Amino acid sequence: MHQILKPGVTLDVIPTNQFKTITIMIDFVAPLTVKSATNRALLGELLDTSSEKYPTQTALARQLSLLYGASLGVNVLKAGTKHLVRVTLSTVNDRYLSDEAQHPLFQQGLDLLSEILFHPLIQNGQFDPETFNRQKNNLAAGIRSLSDDKQYEANQHMRQLLFEHHPEQAVGAFGDDQLLEMVTNSELVEDYRTMLTHDAIHIAVIGDVDEQQMVEQMARLPFLPRKTDELESPYFRWGDRQLIEGDEWQDLTQAKFNQAYRLPVYATDDDHAAALVFNAVFGGSPLSLLFNNVREKASLAYYASSNYSGYTGMMTVQTGIKAEDVDQVKAIIAEQLQLIRDGRVESETLGQVQASLVNARLSGLDSPKHRLSARLSADLTGASTPLSEWIDRINAVTIADLQRVANDVHLTAEYFLHGGEK
Amino acid sequence: MTNVQKQVYERFGESMISAQLDNGLDVHILPKAGFHKTYAIMTTNYGAIDNTFVPRGERETVHMPDGIAHFLEHKLFEKQDYDAFQLFGQYGASSNAFTTFTTTSYLFSASQNIHDNLDILLDFVQEPYFSEASVNKEKGIIGQEIQMYDDDAGWQLYFGTLRNLFPGEPMSIDIAGTVESIDQITADDLYRSYRTFYHPSNMSLFIVGGIDADETLNWVTANQNRKTFSAPTEIKRHPIHHVKADEVIPFTQTPMPVNRAKAAVGMRGFDSLPEGKAGMVYELALSMMMDLLFNDTSETYLALYNQGLIDDSFGYSSEVERGAHFIMISSETDEPETFIKTFESLLDAAPDKIGQLADQFELVKNEAAGRLISAMNSVEAIANQYSGPLFGQTNIFDELEAVQQLTLADVQRVTTDFIRNGAMTGHVVNPLVDNDKN
Repeated sequence: MHQILKPGVTLDVIPTNQFKTITIMIDFVAPLTVKSATNRALLGELLDTSSEKYPTQTALARQLSLLYGASLGVNVLKAGTKHLVRVTLSTVNDRYLSDEAQHPLFQQGLDLLSEILFHPLIQNGQFDPETFNRQKNNLAAGIRSLSDDKQYEANQHMRQLLFEHHPEQAVGAFGDDQLLEMVTNSELVEDYRTMLTHDAIHIAVIGDVDEQQMVEQMARLPFLPRKTDELESPYFRWGDRQLIEGDEWQDLTQAKFNQAYRLPVYATDDDHAAALVFNAVFGGSPLSLLFNNVREKASLAYYASSNYSGYTGMMTVQTGIKAEDVDQVKAIIAEQLQLIRDGRVESETLGQVQASLVNARLSGLDSPKHRLSARLSADLTGASTPLSEWIDRINAVTIADLQRVANDVHLTAEYFLHGGEK
Repeated sequence: MTNVQKQVYERFGESMISAQLDNGLDVHILPKAGFHKTYAIMTTNYGAIDNTFVPRGERETVHMPDGIAHFLEHKLFEKQDYDAFQLFGQYGASSNAFTTFTTTSYLFSASQNIHDNLDILLDFVQEPYFSEASVNKEKGIIGQEIQMYDDDAGWQLYFGTLRNLFPGEPMSIDIAGTVESIDQITADDLYRSYRTFYHPSNMSLFIVGGIDADETLNWVTANQNRKTFSAPTEIKRHPIHHVKADEVIPFTQTPMPVNRAKAAVGMRGFDSLPEGKAGMVYELALSMMMDLLFNDTSETYLALYNQGLIDDSFGYSSEVERGAHFIMISSETDEPETFIKTFESLLDAAPDKIGQLADQFELVKNEAAGRLISAMNSVEAIANQYSGPLFGQTNIFDELEAVQQLTLADVQRVTTDFIRNGAMTGHVVNPLVDNDKN
């Protein structure tokens, strides 16, 4: 059941006795900029670390332990043109615990969640300065260390090339470490207040709960009504452009060859099911053409795969290879795309990929967090396709549909990170 | 007739049937009401460290190339006329496999065609086909897998620490082997290893999900009855020569192109591990020792975090395997030497410290219990929690019960045995000194 609690604040409740936990997710949605990503990543760390009542990490952690290892976390995510601060709480259902001292666990967990959201460690308009500085330093170090993951780094560097004029699309979900240096304490308190009062808020709960009781409980959270920019599309639309190429040398054993393609189909477009199947046939699943031809047949890679985002209209390809094989790998990838454009996909492959997408979707129903994040995504795009309809759409995709999508796909960036000879 | 046992876990609304089939296969089936997915995992008690043994039907001990268990895992999917991975795909299942130091597992998850998918799993694992051509083709793929890990700083930190703790022992060698060692593997090597370790009596099958338990057991039994297996024989692994505590290498470092140093402290236990279920209790106690000393409810964590010696990348683990147990603590840090010294002395002092942490112990127990109950939401977690022969076939419910019964005195006893007989090491992955800058 989807409902509007207050202007700008929505609630979805999914009552089910399938799980042994009750889980809640709250999304705070704001426009994505390099600055918003950077500041809100730091804000997430601060909210997650302490509060007025629990002024140290240890105090907060002990309270969570007391609640039978309840998990409470603040994450940040990017979705197209939006930046999300996501708070997740999960507690064990009381009926599975013999110790009644802590009942009702979910209510106590919710109290703790309210504590970190509405009573952070702020005094005289400043976050506790010591905590602020430490979290700022740690986040900066964390952002810099991300590039120690070479697959991540290759992908990031390619995005930076591709989105030179849209830096918000190039930046990671944790923001930019140089911009982070300049964030001030009072500015972040301001961002915190803006988040609470202006962001679009989507709440979703799953577990063995009473729907009406949950509505009343959530309505008591002290969110004010707000006017949101929700009608603004979450989709990042970009025009076609010339191929941009980049390469870089590092002291590495394995080379990374990555590509980006424009695939201008978005999550609520009619062709979205076709785009999902196209990606899975091309490189998005272990049944795909890239897996079978780059890895299994030519033995050139351990991984060779593609990813597609219905928020950014982009498909990326990533491979880990020997540097000297790059031309051969490039040629095989191009052949696979041409093969789909020519309609030469085997119907057996198409059937396998459709079955695997349906299996993944059904399997997702067995994970509380997966179900909540799917519901929150639907809130973001404003369109929710019922399960049976979604399955019908996937199964209805034909080879001709794949051809149509493949003909709309354009290679826009290539990036090569390699060791070996300079 | 197969002996079938049914366990009911009333508090959790769960039940499970267990059976040992005539051919020796150990089967467990746990139906999850309301679940869409079914997860089945078949495991052999054979992993990366088991590469010196007397092959079944032979007399002499042979030494197989490093990485052969993992290589076999890759090759088992490929048959003369089909690929099991693709076949699972046709039936809407996703499949995978993994190799650890002491086990190899094959699994699928599917929301439909469970009977077909179970047959595919049992048949591809039990009907080997290896040819020289396909073995040689795999060397390129696994070579790239090894090279990917060569550039992975976290993996290098882990194995750098293991090389210090287990010098010259199989535990010090990467599970996938090396580019050179896998180059020596032949189809015949794979067949001899397979025949030795893949007998049903050395394997288990755990199935969890939206299934009917009795019907599923009938499917498994029918499949097994169609096949003929030789009688089980004793597996003759060559005993591993373990170094002495004073042969553990105290410190090494690995330079890599990373932005910030990553440091680890490892400690290997030289105390003897109890067998069966008591081994599981030992493992729990060791893991609780680590929680008490270093988790985010501990004073130590807060002090070191505030001091800037550790940050959110801090983590620790305890591992109990067949024939080896050790703990590891790691973090990114600007002061790797201080990190190592600090944690080495904290471990040294642990036997005296643990007894003073009674309040925290209750919290840690609560948390462990809550985490296990939450894990019952996940079909994968339930199946992967199964211990197999390592701890006398204990499961997630046994583990929860053991958590609830564990006392601080138990943890203190394990801590004292482990630390007093253990040996420590430090390892650092250091940023390269950059000579390239002009």
